[in-house]
Amino acid sequence: MAYLTLSNVSKQFADSYAVHDFNLDVEKGEFVSFLGPSGCGKTTTLRMVAGFETPTNGSIKLDGIDITDKAPNQRNMGMIFQSYALFPNMTVAQNIGFGLRVRNASKSDSSDRVREMVSLVNLEKHVDKYPFQLSGGQQQRVSLARALAISPDVLLLDEPLSALDAKIRISLRAQIREIQKRLGITAIFVTHDQEEALSISDRIVVMYDGNVEQVGTPFEIYNFPKTPFVANFVGSLNTAAAEVVDPAKSFLSMDGVQFVSAAKMDGLRKGDKVRIAIRPERFSFASEQKKANVVDAQIENITFLGSVVRVHILIGNTKFTMDTFNYPSLELPRIGATEQVTCSKEAVLILDSADK
Amino acid sequence: MTTSTPRVQAAVKAPTEQTQATKNRLWSWLIFLVGALYFLIPLATTFYWSLRAEKGVLGFEAYRRLFADSNFLPSFSESIVNAITAIILCLLLIVPTAYWVTLRLPKLRPVVEFITFLPFVIPAVVLVFGLIRLYSRPPLLLTATYDSSRVLLVCVYAALSFPYMFRSVDNGLRAMDVRALTEAAQSLGASWPTILFRVIFPNLRVALLSGALLTFAIVIGELTIALYMAQHTLGPYMANLTRSKVYEPAAMAIVAFAITWAALGIIQLVGRGQQAQITGGH
Repeated sequence: MAYLTLSNVSKQFADSYAVHDFNLDVEKGEFVSFLGPSGCGKTTTLRMVAGFETPTNGSIKLDGIDITDKAPNQRNMGMIFQSYALFPNMTVAQNIGFGLRVRNASKSDSSDRVREMVSLVNLEKHVDKYPFQLSGGQQQRVSLARALAISPDVLLLDEPLSALDAKIRISLRAQIREIQKRLGITAIFVTHDQEEALSISDRIVVMYDGNVEQVGTPFEIYNFPKTPFVANFVGSLNTAAAEVVDPAKSFLSMDGVQFVSAAKMDGLRKGDKVRIAIRPERFSFASEQKKANVVDAQIENITFLGSVVRVHILIGNTKFTMDTFNYPSLELPRIGATEQVTCSKEAVLILDSADK
Repeated sequence: MTTSTPRVQAAVKAPTEQTQATKNRLWSWLIFLVGALYFLIPLATTFYWSLRAEKGVLGFEAYRRLFADSNFLPSFSESIVNAITAIILCLLLIVPTAYWVTLRLPKLRPVVEFITFLPFVIPAVVLVFGLIRLYSRPPLLLTATYDSSRVLLVCVYAALSFPYMFRSVDNGLRAMDVRALTEAAQSLGASWPTILFRVIFPNLRVALLSGALLTFAIVIGELTIALYMAQHTLGPYMANLTRSKVYEPAAMAIVAFAITWAALGIIQLVGRGQQAQITGGH
């Protein structure tokens, strides 16, 4: 049985659904991210788990117990906010010990636990400081320590890294993941940043317009997107309209150029219109190695992106991008030239529903 | 055709900007000086007048007589008790209301603002006659005795301070992220009273203090309502004083000013540290 279960959870505000029929099982110790654009319902779902919003329909169970109608202060969930939400009138130590004090923990137990948490987030030198005397990253570490001090059943993180600069974001997300693994705590992480979700999660729930688009591991979400939205939202993607040529052999035609896919075409017939998707990094020049698909491409432009070189190509009448690693011996083609590019069967994805 | 480089343009521009800045500064000081004189001259002359109680000598005789008057301290202490009770009552009504409006009912803010503004727009005389009419007959008979009238007076004072207290508390609440702080405390297991007394109130210290001291300043010398309710507070005492004495009213005015300034000084003193705590001091 799953540790945290959300069954048919919906939340309606006025006439519209912020979250619609959300189902998810989270195992104990798992790190699950809710990923999606603004307004997709990810924070509302998290707030329903925390108890700050009441679902219009459905139920939330924690360790087999229905907590749908429980007050937030009776759920034992640690929450981390984007704005840190540290109590300005309390020092770092007092902030971390707040949850213990309201639980009537003894003074010695409380100070032991505070010390433990302070050392966990490496803030030993700052215990007597007030939040305004700390940097953003330090404040968020205090917030993490404060949430963990109460030994929560589930740790909820509402875009905790969004207000931080890029370097601190990367180091803090690694620290959060490391602590979560070490303590074996169940965590739900809300983010709109796909890189963050891909790098930190055991599983990702991709949401759009109040609905779950796909649930899977970062590998599955990136490599096998099930809907056009997931394919477009997670990573860069080339999409193009194609026509089924031979469903048995998974042959497709795009602007008269033939592709073969590894995807099964059950239910598709010859002549059906589909949308195919190929990630830019799945293309390579055929001069290096030939794969299942070898097609002519006109080189339109070349852009250096540091470690990656992005080549803009034209296959048939459709524009694609192709990413290749930038290494010193790389021989780039001339702009305007026609080169053969190649990709594997597995690289050619068939998106199973209409574009969003 | 001649062209000027940006450096030349900057060099030409700099003295002009400097002259303009000096001019603006001079004007600012002039306006400040006129304002200060407008305020300080009456105060200085009142103070001077209060020192002339003894013929040919400048001294504090008027103050000595004022404090020696057997009616002064009872009326002063009664006013202080009334003010403190009104402040407590007002705090109990306004703080939870403003907090709840900020947290859960932001759409109600204009309505609450309008209600708290009413004491500003209703003249005190109208208010007091309305109150006397309403509370001088059963079932709300509150003007029958001196003490029950005093209870009514305190309630009216609490209502009079709504505009100051609400604005003060509302500004304090807007300066912090009330929702996030409340939710953070809730997720840590805190109940509503714990949230209010350990998280919200301590961070509203300055706002509560300014509201309370403004209320104090209004109530301490209030005349119209106290007079019509036949209360022996500082306002009616001062009014009587002006009718029968020459120098003591001036001394009384200076004392009242000193109390108000002390109150404002306390707000400044307490507020200095907390502002940095809430808004960040980087």
